[in-house]
Amino acid sequence: MNVVLPLIALVVGFLAVYRYAPAMPPGWADFVAIAILAGFDALVGGVRAWLEQRFDEGVFVSGFFANMLVAAFLAYFGDKLGVDLYLAVVVALGIRVFNNIGRIRGLIMTRRIADRHAKAAQPSP
Amino acid sequence: MGVAILWHGKRHWTLSMVAICLVLGALLGVQVHSQRLRGDTEVGRQTGALVSMLTTSQAQLDQHQKEIERLRARVAEYELEVANERGMARLRNEELQHRQIALGLLPVGGPGIQLVLGDSTMRAGDATEAQDLYVIHDFDLVQITNELWAAGAEAVALNGQRLIPGSAITCSTRLIRVNDVTISVPFTFLVIGNKENLMSALNIRDGMLDRLRVLQFKVELTPMDEIVIPPVAVPPQYQYAQPVTEE
Repeated sequence: MNVVLPLIALVVGFLAVYRYAPAMPPGWADFVAIAILAGFDALVGGVRAWLEQRFDEGVFVSGFFANMLVAAFLAYFGDKLGVDLYLAVVVALGIRVFNNIGRIRGLIMTRRIADRHAKAAQPSP
Repeated sequence: MGVAILWHGKRHWTLSMVAICLVLGALLGVQVHSQRLRGDTEVGRQTGALVSMLTTSQAQLDQHQKEIERLRARVAEYELEVANERGMARLRNEELQHRQIALGLLPVGGPGIQLVLGDSTMRAGDATEAQDLYVIHDFDLVQITNELWAAGAEAVALNGQRLIPGSAITCSTRLIRVNDVTISVPFTFLVIGNKENLMSALNIRDGMLDRLRVLQFKVELTPMDEIVIPPVAVPPQYQYAQPVTEE
């Protein structure tokens, strides 16, 4: 249930905006894309922290918005300077997302294996 | 069972996760929506170009055929009337009227369309150069006029100014002038011509109006059964061009 609710929220948010979205001013697309990547990074980081049992709501929520704003601002700033700073953001966030997903996968797998061993160790009635 | 161990279910965990996912989903929605709009116009550009090429050549063919028929009929008429002085005078008068319409010297009426354009409802910050994206420019009007002629418009007026060969739409210090008269928003085109052709030419995918609509400009295109277009205020003066008679 706990996993399903956020997924439903994701879909609901997507559909609600997708159907009624006004046209975004041209030129915003790049910044929004970067912000989405940053938000996704924060989300994956949150899941990992939760699996490691060190999830903190304040850290998670503030990290989500701060990451998005900073990433979008960096991209915007780079645009103004004529430097492709958004590439740096994409690379940095991409690596983080992959690392975190790998870590999440690792955590789930170890727990599964631990579970299986625990089950096998139980004497059958 | 294994997954169940992972849930050390705290309510606020779910709550913040749901909220964040909602925001992220909404952002994704905006992005995908915008990208799809962009992609649509990309594809539309190619088909649009082909369709317009086809319609243009079809229309040209029809036009040429009609012109040939008209000229043939005219030649026959001339041949018949050549001896009759009164008949010649009538024909010349008709010819003259035709030319006067072409030069915009006579008010004309007929079916057509009305196109009203206003500035965009979007506003970019306070920067003047960014604001330029969201107002109608002289070149927008020039392009639309061009599309109208290309779609077979027979008479066009912009904010009451008849457009004739030699009408210029210019811009100086943010004021748009047509026939040396200053005009401002809303810009109203009155066009006499084939309603369907004009409407479809203007509404063509990725055409001028499409682009204006994406930027949320006010665009009102209405077919009209009866339009009256005034004559040009100041007829063109010819100082240098003289008729050349070939002997």
